[in-house]
Amino acid sequence: MATVSALRVLPGGRSGNEPGPAVSADRGLLAELYEKHAAAVYGRCRYLLRNDDEAKDALQEVFAKALRALPEFRAAASPTTWILRIATHHCLNLHRARRAAWREELAALGKDRRVESEPPERRELVRVLLGAAPEEAQEAAVLYYVDEMTQAEIAQQLGRSLPTVRKRLREFLACARKALSESLPGIVLPEGDEP
Amino acid sequence: MIADLGGPGPACSALRVRRFVAGELSGVERERMQAHLEGCARCQEALREIEAEKARVLRDVPFERFAAGVAEKLAAPVAPRRAWRKFVPIAAAAALLIGIGIGRSGREGDGVRTKGGTSTRLYQKVGAEVIAVGPDGVVGTGPLQLELASPDRAQAVLLLVEGNDASVLYAGPSQAARAPFEWVGPASSATLVTVLSDQPLDAESVRRAVAEHGTAGVPEGSEVIARPLVRGKR
Repeated sequence: MATVSALRVLPGGRSGNEPGPAVSADRGLLAELYEKHAAAVYGRCRYLLRNDDEAKDALQEVFAKALRALPEFRAAASPTTWILRIATHHCLNLHRARRAAWREELAALGKDRRVESEPPERRELVRVLLGAAPEEAQEAAVLYYVDEMTQAEIAQQLGRSLPTVRKRLREFLACARKALSESLPGIVLPEGDEP
Repeated sequence: MIADLGGPGPACSALRVRRFVAGELSGVERERMQAHLEGCARCQEALREIEAEKARVLRDVPFERFAAGVAEKLAAPVAPRRAWRKFVPIAAAAALLIGIGIGRSGREGDGVRTKGGTSTRLYQKVGAEVIAVGPDGVVGTGPLQLELASPDRAQAVLLLVEGNDASVLYAGPSQAARAPFEWVGPASSATLVTVLSDQPLDAESVRRAVAEHGTAGVPEGSEVIARPLVRGKR
């Protein structure tokens, strides 16, 4: 079957909260999934968790989740988008457990710069600022600033309206500005950059 | 000092580069991305990062270790499914759409009928409600479901057609024809084409014929129902 880019087939018939069938790891299937998606998932886990051991564990956890939901994974218009979202969600949950650390991380980010006149690395700054934002805004921020999806694509992906996505991105920015003014007052975000 | 957090560029998206590398972009999109990549430093950088990630995972978690770890996770008890629902709101919405969509019948005459009386019905989930989409085909965002009512032919292929591109939504017995899908992407209009026949239909050749020749391309002896799909506000 061909796929039109503008089509997403939705798997039906499962409520999503029933326990999945028992799953065993078929080696051939696992090798295929590893080849196609492990690098992106591991990259996302390393980025969000900043700890290689935790990232390795998260990588395996994410694939176990994907295998338990294999029909949905297979039916996704973009398997890459689907599994990255699972990875992001999994890591944000772990990240949240340590959210108290973001102030120290932000201060460290300021100190770690090689050249003081340069802002911290863009994605690193986004990652640390996630800790300052409410749960609902975090995923939207990753999809926007890291995956660089448009707001319309994010709305589609999250199953939310465009105004809701915009609101969440604004929440993230407001929290980010506040966090910067408290912990790294020398650094500001550009004005007029409201999503 | 001003720190830019980034975000999507006019034509740049790290995820789209990933999807390109993974072979997930279709015809036009793929060509557009290929051309864009050649002249875009930012997307080339994203490409380099993807290559670096590949080397990293091979080094840090070689396949054997990965496979053993995943098997171990799968053997562990399944976590409560409540959190899982948040990952797949679309799947849950589709299930809901099916549950409600069947119970609520659309207005008679919502779909165009064949001579034999087969019609199509299109539903959309809007918030908590499922509504029948009218013959104008105007839909907002949200999951859709195309169904057949009183099919008088044995086999059906349901297609989404956008210009010269077509995609199979459903292929099989017409009694069970039901296609939950979500219409995304930049197009503002499309056509839902239903091909009915008493002979077995090869979905791929029907799809190709309709993509190339429109509804005139369907196999001899089959019937067609076409209904518009228009992006609008609901």
